[in-house]
Amino acid sequence: MTTLWDTTGTAVVQALAAERRSGGAVTSGLALTLVVVLEEKDTADVEAAVVTASAKHPMRVIMVLRHNIDAPVPRLDAEVSIGGRLGPGEAVVLRMFGRLALHAESVTLPLLAPDAPVVAWWYSETPKTIAYDPLGVFADRRITNVIRDSDPAASLQLRATDFAPGDTDLTWTVITPWRAALASAFDTASSPASSVIVYGNPVDPSAQLLAGWLSSRLGIYVPVERAEGRYISSVAVSFQDGHSVQMSNEGYKLVMRRPGQMDTIAPFPHRSTGSLLAEELRRLDADEPYGEALGAVSGQRDLNSRGSVRKHIWHDPAMADQER
Amino acid sequence: MSVVDNQAEANQSEAISAGDGPTMPRTQRSNPLRDPGDRRLPRVPEPCALVVFGVTGDLSRKKLLPAIYDLANRGLLPADFALLGFARRDWGDGDFESLARKAAKEHARTGWDEEVWERLSGNIKFVAGSFDDDMAFDQLASTLEELRASHGIKGNAAFYLSIPPTMFPVVLKQMERTRMADNSTAGGWRRVVVEKPFGHDLPSAKALNTLVDDVFTADDVFRIDHYLGKETVQNLMALRFANQLFEPVWNANYVDSVQITMAEDVGIAGRAGFYDATGAARDVLQNHLLQLLALTAMEEPVEFTADAIRTEKLKVLRAITLPADLSAYAVRGQYEQGWLAGERVRGYRAEEGVPADSKTESYAAVRLGIDTRRWAGVPFYVRTGKRLPRRVTEIAVLFKKAPHLPFSHTDTEELGHNQLVIRVQPDEGVTLKFGSKVPGSMMEVRDVSMDFLYGEAFTEASPEAYERLILDVMLGDATLFPRNEEVEASWRVIDPLEAFWQEQEPEPYRAGEWGPKGSDNMLARDGRSWRRP
Repeated sequence: MTTLWDTTGTAVVQALAAERRSGGAVTSGLALTLVVVLEEKDTADVEAAVVTASAKHPMRVIMVLRHNIDAPVPRLDAEVSIGGRLGPGEAVVLRMFGRLALHAESVTLPLLAPDAPVVAWWYSETPKTIAYDPLGVFADRRITNVIRDSDPAASLQLRATDFAPGDTDLTWTVITPWRAALASAFDTASSPASSVIVYGNPVDPSAQLLAGWLSSRLGIYVPVERAEGRYISSVAVSFQDGHSVQMSNEGYKLVMRRPGQMDTIAPFPHRSTGSLLAEELRRLDADEPYGEALGAVSGQRDLNSRGSVRKHIWHDPAMADQER
Repeated sequence: MSVVDNQAEANQSEAISAGDGPTMPRTQRSNPLRDPGDRRLPRVPEPCALVVFGVTGDLSRKKLLPAIYDLANRGLLPADFALLGFARRDWGDGDFESLARKAAKEHARTGWDEEVWERLSGNIKFVAGSFDDDMAFDQLASTLEELRASHGIKGNAAFYLSIPPTMFPVVLKQMERTRMADNSTAGGWRRVVVEKPFGHDLPSAKALNTLVDDVFTADDVFRIDHYLGKETVQNLMALRFANQLFEPVWNANYVDSVQITMAEDVGIAGRAGFYDATGAARDVLQNHLLQLLALTAMEEPVEFTADAIRTEKLKVLRAITLPADLSAYAVRGQYEQGWLAGERVRGYRAEEGVPADSKTESYAAVRLGIDTRRWAGVPFYVRTGKRLPRRVTEIAVLFKKAPHLPFSHTDTEELGHNQLVIRVQPDEGVTLKFGSKVPGSMMEVRDVSMDFLYGEAFTEASPEAYERLILDVMLGDATLFPRNEEVEASWRVIDPLEAFWQEQEPEPYRAGEWGPKGSDNMLARDGRSWRRP
């Protein structure tokens, strides 16, 4: 591991190359570069997630921490490690102070793995408009996490307004097991669904996305009705031929109840942020079902037909503060 | 996820939308929640039962039961699933459950989760009886009927015959009698899974195929060749047919020769009876090696479906020719005592259960040709053996040397053939070997390797072959299973070899070396040498 204090982007690139050479077995098969935008208080969580995800995907991780933008002198501290504390891949931690934080791309661009896709992940506090953050502009895939915002439901709406194909949110990743279970329940159905209700917290973005996905696929209105629990507690489906299925999450188990049949129980494990991130990194193209679900939640149509390329919008928080 | 997976998924949804696909005879209306664009949702089979004959056997304990647990743990088993064991033991459900639990816990690939097992164990049933016992089979049939109601399996069942082939006729007759193999009686699909050996020569293979295909329909028979479940073997098709780079040089104009190796460091531990009657050529060459050869040499299938791939594989298998001079180009060997990995090991004839004058080969190597426009003149050297220095399976495509080298002879002395090596196991991956200049003031060209390691680019542990194959059986996806014509075409290659070898003594080689001298001479005769894997 190399630690650099008050350094330059060029020195970081050289340090990375030196680490690669001296590491012996050079990690040649990099599949992607992951750029994580985080705050100092989240370091432990993000590191744990990155270690899990980089065990599944060979990648170069660039962690960007922006510190007090109003510091008088810009400064860059960096940490470079390969196959160390941050998992088997390559990792660069960049701490940026002062006005440099507004030009983070000047340090990260030369560090991207050649011709490999770039994924940007905002651990918390996604910018209102992704185009404000140059790190989001050159990324091919952008992962947000609205559940960590102060008003997740409002943030999800914002994500729809700001949507471009290639965006996904971890509140969508969380519901993959629900979607898989529902899809297999529909495999054996012999008639179309007549009504579907998601029970849970109506302002939970995951519950909203699940309902949005169901209504976009089934073509019927799917409400989220209040029930106990902070997220999704159960889903009830009635079919036109009178059959019905009730699925509920009971302490990390998915219980499926059908009248006249034995209940079935399937594991429904809690997934760490790392395994959610790993699922996201499996596919680096646009997730169309997400676009459709988000469209259904927000009432905004044709999200998937928007352009996928963003143009950077200069946004200076200091100026924004003055104007206010 | 490999191309195979995505493609198979697409095929499956096509079959559903088509209503009556050949592989999925009884699919319902299309599922609105399944979208080919939605790559996150896993393939989960329809409700079904898996019936295992010979469930107390070695294969079942080491591979089958752990694979079922791994599938459950990955959430890939349907919600309505039952595992039904059949064996000659005086057992209840509980005894079988504890055996299965022990086996799964010991050999499972994924971590142990008590809850997953508890959920699975509620669906485990056992029927005791011998294969000629009508009562036992009646009970098996009625248990399946009960499961339909209690476990919602809807008449779908796969029968896994983990038993010696000599037992097949009895078991299959019983299934025919109780009408368990009949799709229409069951009101669902009924499939059968058969393990190798698929016969011991062409007539016996044909007899076996006729028998199995009669009781079940040919489309419902799944022959397991676990090599085809391996990630790299499927990747071979992605490598060849998804890329522009390799296909133009994948022919006799550019390829000098192909070497396919399957080496094992182990002996015949515990399988003496079976092995001594079989030998390396029948045990490995006939199935695994010829399947690998077929996948390497086949033309591009018109679409990525089971039928289209089988058609192409069959064409290659039928075009295989044996060398005219078998005494020069077909070598078999038998290991003698020696040292392997720092331990003394005994010779083949000294192994327990092997007769002292056994003529069975533990090593076989042969030069095959493929009579097609693409491959005419390219030798395919295939070899397999036991007690070789290390366990490795690989396909090496050796390219011709450049027709003219502008460098002086001494500059390129160390330059060999360009090679593309597909490593099937271990260290699954692909290596490209080519010449590169040695840094310095002299012009000197030396071979270097460019390596793609699965463990590096997709560290997500690739599933055990059995996991993948059992899942495919339940999904009705026959892409990775050889069909009867392929088995028969393979025997047509092996039978003349066996006839030639019949009266010959195998050539001895020391345990721990790369096969007998004759095998090296075989390549030396052609001015080539074996690649050290």
